[in-house]
Amino acid sequence: MAEFNTTLKEQGDISIIKLKGYLDAHTAPVLENKFNELINNNKYKIVVDFRDLAYISSAGLGVFMAYIEKVRENQGDIKLASMSDKVYNIFDLLGFPLLYEIFKTEEEAIKKFSE
Amino acid sequence: MSEVENLKVKRNLTALIEFSRVINSSLELEFILNNVLLTCLGKFLAIRGLVALKEGNHFQIKLSKGIPDEVLSIFPDVTADKDCEMKEELNSFFESAHLKICERISSSVGCIGFVCLGEKLNGKEYTDDDREFLKTILNIAATAIQNSLVVQELKKVNRELDSRIQRLNSLFELSKEFGLFSESTKVSRLLVYSLMGQFLVSNYAILNFEGSAIQVLESKFQIDELLSKLRKYDYLKIETPLNRTKLEKSYPELFEIGIQLIVPMQIQGKVKGLIILGKRVNNLDYSDYDIEFIYSVGSLAIISLENRRLFKEALEKQKLEEELEFAREIQQNLLPSQIPATNNFDIAAINLPSKQVGGDYFDIIKVDEGKYIIAIADVSGKGIPASLLMANMQAFLQVISKQNIDIATATGLINDLISQNTSDGRFITFFWALLDDNEKRLTYVNAGHNPPILVRNNEIIRFSEGGIILGVMKTLLPYNSNSIQLESGDKIIMFTDGVSEAMNPFSQEFSEERLEKIALSTSQLTSNETLKKIREEIEKFVEGAPQSDDLTMMIIRVR
Repeated sequence: MAEFNTTLKEQGDISIIKLKGYLDAHTAPVLENKFNELINNNKYKIVVDFRDLAYISSAGLGVFMAYIEKVRENQGDIKLASMSDKVYNIFDLLGFPLLYEIFKTEEEAIKKFSE
Repeated sequence: MSEVENLKVKRNLTALIEFSRVINSSLELEFILNNVLLTCLGKFLAIRGLVALKEGNHFQIKLSKGIPDEVLSIFPDVTADKDCEMKEELNSFFESAHLKICERISSSVGCIGFVCLGEKLNGKEYTDDDREFLKTILNIAATAIQNSLVVQELKKVNRELDSRIQRLNSLFELSKEFGLFSESTKVSRLLVYSLMGQFLVSNYAILNFEGSAIQVLESKFQIDELLSKLRKYDYLKIETPLNRTKLEKSYPELFEIGIQLIVPMQIQGKVKGLIILGKRVNNLDYSDYDIEFIYSVGSLAIISLENRRLFKEALEKQKLEEELEFAREIQQNLLPSQIPATNNFDIAAINLPSKQVGGDYFDIIKVDEGKYIIAIADVSGKGIPASLLMANMQAFLQVISKQNIDIATATGLINDLISQNTSDGRFITFFWALLDDNEKRLTYVNAGHNPPILVRNNEIIRFSEGGIILGVMKTLLPYNSNSIQLESGDKIIMFTDGVSEAMNPFSQEFSEERLEKIALSTSQLTSNETLKKIREEIEKFVEGAPQSDDLTMMIIRVR
């Protein structure tokens, strides 16, 4: 199975999930669990940091679609940050930038929440 | 030329060179057009203007300044020919937009659009010189615009290519993943995630059909509502994808709950499931190319689901076979493992089970010194129910043998017990006897079993005395028994119908007549030799045809 893990960091009421490795069909449940955990704890301000993510498949992208509605219903958002060009290209091709705010750095994404 | 005019020409030239340098420094269309329009507005002191380019066969306003949106919105949809001929509709638009002068932009491929400018701030009219100068500016700009358009087109093509590669990658990855997952729920989850990611869709359902039964694998729609609406239509006949238009027209109830696309999942032309998708979050329609991709992904998924189902079935079958094997083993263990040694009898027995678990049974139970119960039985039917009844029969026999009741009465009791314990029309043919080693006597009861053969002095006697088969009804008429004084050289052959009805490839039965003939011809042989001979004859007769019944025999030769 491809290597993938997530680490969670809290900054005020914002949760930052850092992704590492390959996010595909096998590893998507790991990220699902993370989102579930945050939603169960009523944490709806989420920044996902892609700095160490090497690859994302369409099944991986599906995870973001699966939770965004629930998060936004609760006045939160999932903001995406620090994507490599390769990863950004896939998001871009599928039209994600229209629906998600994508930032160059994690800090910018966090800052956007406080605006 | 006056010095003032000289200066003017010089300034114009410098401006043109600078303009050329700037617009050629970038391939960004927006930057180039912005510079063109601003330069024109600045040069002619015009207060409004627009740039329109040909897109396909139509003009499209790419940039405008100083023209209100409501005016821009009435820009006519006119066909653009090679020379950008200004049609009547265009001229009336120019009038309402207060545009005074229009000039074509022509590159090496012909006219690519036009620039229009409004009135001058100083109220003066455009002169011929102005028009010439505008032409010069647009000639310089044309190459830059054309280059930028080519680059834009290239980018678009590249993006389409990227998108196709991305989808191909997705398909490849999914085909690999679908094969790896062992649970159908994981397959459907993966399918849903891929579709959500690929098409930005958040409302979906994946249905799997087993005949007309619907299994909902995934659903974000209200399941009850979805199913009740779906059942209003002949959903098994959805053999081609239904897009928004088709749904709205022919499946309005489904369209009303927000379904925008239904793609069937088929195996060998049979609809095995449906992919149901709601609106895309980016409000785009599903293109034919999208539907094609969803169809491909769906095919991969349904094959994976079907394989999984078949694999599960095979596993269950294997498990059942293992259980049957286990039952067969238990059954074999119920048969006597050893024939007890007697003074006057040479006894041999055999039970060859067929492939299925059967219901043949034989037993030898020592009841007293020199006294033995011998029994042979055949339970109707096959499989676990038959073997359970046989096990019951054996237990009854073991118990009743020890009760010191005469075997005719005991048979009645056994029949009552069996009758109470069978409810599905099963019965047992049963022959048993008390064998007295001291007195060389045999007392038997035959409850509907193939009468055993006694060979005495080259003659055949059959043991038929008894009563009805066991298990059909309670004992109303008592069973009869018969007692026979045995003589040296007597041979008794007890058998089940697996022997007499052994079948050859031409559907002929071995028959009791053949068995009797062998019985006569083997009267001098020991019990074991006789058994072996009968087996050989049966094997020869059936010519390797598979047998469906157990084959059981017990042979007693009187010393």
